[in-house]
Amino acid sequence: MIEFVLDGRSKVATYMQLVLQVKQALRVGIAQPGDQLPKVREVARTLAINPNTVLKAYRQLELEGLAEGRPGVGTFLVATLAGDSLPQQAELREELVAWLRRAQAAGLAREDVAALIDTTLRATLDRPVPDDAH
Amino acid sequence: MTEDAHETALETDALGKRYGRAWALRGCALRLPAGRIAALVGPNGAGKSTLLHLAVGLLRPDAGQVRVFGRDPRGDSETLADIGFVAQDTPLYRDFTADELITMGARLNRRWDADLARDRLTGIGIPTRKPVGGLSGGQRAQVALALALAKRPRLLLLDEPAAALDPLARHEFMGALMSAVAESGTTVLLSSHLLADLERVCDYLILLQTAHVQLAGDVDELLAQHRTLTGPRTDRPEAVPGVRSVIRASHTDRQTTLLARTTTTGTVPTDPAWSAHEVSLEDLVLAYLGAADTHRTEVTA
Amino acid sequence: MIWLTWRQHRKQLVYLALGLAALAALMVPTGLSMHDTFQDSGLADCLDALGTDVLLSGQVDTCDALRRQFTDEFNSLTMVAILFMVLPLLVGLFFGAPLVAREVEHGTHRLVWTQGITRRRWALTKLGLLGGLTLPLAVVYALGVTWWFAPVAANGTGRLAYGFFDVQGIVPVAYTLFALALGTFAGTATRRVLPAMAVTLGGFAAVRLGIETLLRPHYMPPEELSYSTTGGQWLNPAADSWIYESGVRNADGELVSSGLIGCPPHDPLCLDRGGVEPGSSNWQLYQPGDRFWTFQFIETGIFLGLTALLCYLAVRRIRQIA
Repeated sequence: MIEFVLDGRSKVATYMQLVLQVKQALRVGIAQPGDQLPKVREVARTLAINPNTVLKAYRQLELEGLAEGRPGVGTFLVATLAGDSLPQQAELREELVAWLRRAQAAGLAREDVAALIDTTLRATLDRPVPDDAH
Repeated sequence: MTEDAHETALETDALGKRYGRAWALRGCALRLPAGRIAALVGPNGAGKSTLLHLAVGLLRPDAGQVRVFGRDPRGDSETLADIGFVAQDTPLYRDFTADELITMGARLNRRWDADLARDRLTGIGIPTRKPVGGLSGGQRAQVALALALAKRPRLLLLDEPAAALDPLARHEFMGALMSAVAESGTTVLLSSHLLADLERVCDYLILLQTAHVQLAGDVDELLAQHRTLTGPRTDRPEAVPGVRSVIRASHTDRQTTLLARTTTTGTVPTDPAWSAHEVSLEDLVLAYLGAADTHRTEVTA
Repeated sequence: MIWLTWRQHRKQLVYLALGLAALAALMVPTGLSMHDTFQDSGLADCLDALGTDVLLSGQVDTCDALRRQFTDEFNSLTMVAILFMVLPLLVGLFFGAPLVAREVEHGTHRLVWTQGITRRRWALTKLGLLGGLTLPLAVVYALGVTWWFAPVAANGTGRLAYGFFDVQGIVPVAYTLFALALGTFAGTATRRVLPAMAVTLGGFAAVRLGIETLLRPHYMPPEELSYSTTGGQWLNPAADSWIYESGVRNADGELVSSGLIGCPPHDPLCLDRGGVEPGSSNWQLYQPGDRFWTFQFIETGIFLGLTALLCYLAVRRIRQIA
């Protein structure tokens, strides 16, 4: 099951942070259709946030067709964002790890690596991935 | 959320309370819809406790009236039964155990969910057979909250419940409160001067300053109605396009920064020289409190 | 509410009961020994034989020797009367004063007054229960002290005298309830325990002394008694009178001496030794001993009235506290 965390310094609205985390989990395969999302009460308790915020996030996921509320039971994921790329992700990840080790060996600090990836992403893919922008 | 969205949990009309000749609260008019988690914000001495004490019937108004679900809280025990109250510093009989406090509640209330209180406390590992005087501040706050919730109140009032707690205990307290709200749908009015606690928790804001209501409303709407505007220095910020009223203005040699209420919700100014940014709840509260300060010094000067 | 009151005050009540038990353990043996001596020495019969008339004639004070003997033996014990007078005050200090003041001091009034009962009911139940619990204790204490003190009172000073009247009969019960109400009211006024106790202490002493010295002597007009200095008459020590003033008056009615004189008839030398002229008479202003219960009822009525007033004021003040 997904465990939500909040970034206190993020400018992103709390409910949107929850939505993004679900999408992220769907994208990398941590969450799959059929999985139940944490109960509103539990999320409200562990994150100490307004339960209406959790409900709003879950409604947003329902609107986007990713989740479905079953009265009296909870909210379940019904779609995935992983697409066909999921099987290849493991291999790609391994290559990325190998590349990161090389970067480390070459003396790049964490910030250098992040900057390099960021600029390359923008240059190569021309525009940001839609789901990460608001 | 079980409450009817159109129902009013708490309503005050020209409400005032005086201590001697000084008004602790004056001309207070507000309406808190049911089902909300409302923050009562303001500096110390602004009248937060006074408003809460009026709402729970501990105080008698000197002017105007206060209604909880349409009834006078000083009226009868029936209205009292609908209101849960956690007072500042979460007072408890220190030589009582939590079990005994729960028994006390059962004796003093017609509607009382002792199991709820007991389960809640054992669920977070609070000993119920030890005198509460020996518990930590956070645990005592949890006991006080459990007692207030055992009434199954329709309106829960909390007076700075977490102010004296360390950050972890505060988080756990707010978590327990939020989980209870998720379960019961009770309306909450929570006073605090710790803004960080409230930002994620509250969807309604009541801002008190020097005995007056400065601002009240739905948090999302309030945030949508306000913007931080930055542009070339001007001495007439009210004239900036898109500005309905200026809450706070600051100037450098070349630049003016405004926190303003905009003419229409969410608009960006039409003047290209000005840029607009969204505001956080904290920005908004600080701007209003600061604005009142400036206003006051002008008046007294 | 009953449970809560018991739970909050059980410690004090147990201490109070223990204190009374300890006191009883002390008083019962000494009381028995006093009663025994009183009977066995013949003092009881002797005093009985004197009757209750204010004056005795034609005989000398036959009980005098026995009375001195009894007084010598038990005089020190009568100091305990002071302790008895303080007992009602303790109820005011330890039950009354903290009743509201401790709640406000700890902020727990905001816990208990926001439960499902009105604070008017809270106040009335608490006062009623504590009053109801201390009442039987006070009655037991009053009856006990009355019994314990009976021989001492019978032996001369009388039940109406200061220090004796105040610990016997029904007034101790009224004092106790008054102290409780006074303490409660003081707590609503000061809202802190220690100042409330101080106010209770001062208020109790002031009201008790004020009524005792200013009002009590005027409950009923005192009687005057004049009798000849040479008629062979004596004041009856068993008459229980409360004597305000006494002395010898000359023929013009002026008070010439504060002592009483008893001389045989036709003995001018005796009168001369006493420094009075022939034709003078002994005189006293006093309350007859048989007014004891009338005075008890009047004083009880006054204190119960004050108790009711203080309870009313306390409940009214409680509604102002937030």
